[in-house]
Amino acid sequence: MRDHKTIICRCEEVSLEDLVRTAESYRCSSRELKLRTRAGMGQCGGRTCRALVDSITQKCTNDSTPHDIPLGYQAPIRPITFSIMGEKKDE
Amino acid sequence: MIDVIIVGAGPAGLSAANVCAKNGLKVKVVDEFMKAGGRLLGQLHEEPDGTWWNGIEEAKKLSEDAQELNVAVECGVSVHNIKQEKSYWKVYTTKGDFKTRALLLATGAAETSLPIPGWTLPGVMSIGAAQVMTNVHRVRVGERGVVIGINILSAAITRELQLAGIEVSSMYLPGKNIVTEDAAKPLSTMKSMLKVASLAPSKLIRLGSYFMKYESLQSLAVRFYPKNGMKVWGMPVHLRKAVLEIVGDKKVEGVKVAQVDVNGEPILSTEKFVPADFVCIAGGLYPLVELAAISGCPFQYIAELGGHVPVHNENMKTPIDGLYVAGNITGIESAKVAMKQGAVAGYSISMDLLKTDVNIEDQLQQAINHVKQTRNQATIQFHPDIHSGREKIHASFKNTLRTDI
Ligand SMILES: Cc1cc2nc3c(=O)[nH]c(=O)nc-3n(C[C@H](O)[C@H](O)[C@H](O)COP(=O)(O)OP(=O)(O)OC[C@H]3O[C@@H](n4cnc5c(N)ncnc54)[C@H](O)[C@@H]3O)c2cc1C
Repeated sequence: MRDHKTIICRCEEVSLEDLVRTAESYRCSSRELKLRTRAGMGQCGGRTCRALVDSITQKCTNDSTPHDIPLGYQAPIRPITFSIMGEKKDE
Repeated sequence: MIDVIIVGAGPAGLSAANVCAKNGLKVKVVDEFMKAGGRLLGQLHEEPDGTWWNGIEEAKKLSEDAQELNVAVECGVSVHNIKQEKSYWKVYTTKGDFKTRALLLATGAAETSLPIPGWTLPGVMSIGAAQVMTNVHRVRVGERGVVIGINILSAAITRELQLAGIEVSSMYLPGKNIVTEDAAKPLSTMKSMLKVASLAPSKLIRLGSYFMKYESLQSLAVRFYPKNGMKVWGMPVHLRKAVLEIVGDKKVEGVKVAQVDVNGEPILSTEKFVPADFVCIAGGLYPLVELAAISGCPFQYIAELGGHVPVHNENMKTPIDGLYVAGNITGIESAKVAMKQGAVAGYSISMDLLKTDVNIEDQLQQAINHVKQTRNQATIQFHPDIHSGREKIHASFKNTLRTDI
């Protein structure tokens, strides 16, 4: 009802309505839902919407939650600067 | 090379650090928050026996012990990657990279949100953020607010806000949509509040212990739940009203509230505006497992533990060599349980690294028993079936080893 006004991914401004429509038309995985809508691909790395995107996928496809984490994590798990990433020093 | 690196200076991480250091290991703890103590720093509540649980005091004790034992605790440092090398772990932080023989992940929990229209407005925050602002930073979150989401966590923190002199005018359910569905149903909300704890608003409990016995009475209780809410600590808790939208121009100005039927569906003709200058959203907690996920550790989804958790056994060991877990990363429980789990991890690591000492084995066994005792006596339980969740995860560890052979 008010789903077009409900933002799920703040960084990429994806609404609940967009996500539900996409999940229902493609019956897809969380990963595909993310790639199709860009939800979870913004600068926070999905730290707010990851669980929400997963739950939308599950409810739309009627699947039970898998044991493997649906939306995989990748390093770096925090936003860091290129200079930190490029650092080669040990200890 | 360091003996043990611990990610997270919460009750689990600090307890583990202190045990390792007592056994003579060289320990380093890193935490991205500016102060050690983790979620303890926000906690203040009255136990059923009338004593107070003061998290700041508990954190102080743990930190002082750590200092005495020469544990290096570094705050304001994030771990952004970990990698297993042949005989050690490499830990990548925002302040340098380190090698360690054993790695303990004690990263705690994160909050689930309840997305409703307007929740991106300034002045809307998670209930945990309100707790940190109030009890850690001592900043007033606002003059008069509402809480959305009725659960053990929001009940506890709302009380803390009140004690700090901040007015919370009401607690409501979230407006129902595909994501908030479970938290938006009056009956299931009431049931979970009844089961979880003595900390739950006392009136609900008193009413509850009566209704608990009879399924049919529970739905009656929800059907006839007072329209003006039930007052708890002077504040109405509304199991039959939901916030449909948070409104405001540049920041929160209030919420649109409507009565809901027993299934959580709003009765639109009853919609009303309630003024507020802050809104707290409380959707519950889930284990924060990012680092475990990139380590290659297998996972299990266990609802009783709060979501996906890394496979581990009672010794807090994962199936991956040199990788340990403790605290809320293994399942959502109270701070007291997290502390005891931390001690277990500490003995477990000490035993593996020092190998010879039989003495430690006894202490490890004792520490495991302490976890169980503490769990049985817990006044705050986030999930009523925590015991079955624990059994499931420990069984999965055995299965993982079996399939490896
Ligand atoms: C908002 C909130 C309120 C709570 N209120 C209560 C309560 O009132 N009573 C109660 O008993 N329990 C409460 N809990 C449950 C709480 O999680 C436990 O009480 C306990 O604090 C768990 O201990 P822990 O050591 O596992 O994790 P935490 O205490 O959460 O500590 C984990 C630490 O790890 C750090 N960390 C995480 N990831 C990284 C990284 N990548 N790099 C560096 N550092 C990292 C964090 O900064 C944090 O300090 C609450 C939890 C939350 C989230």
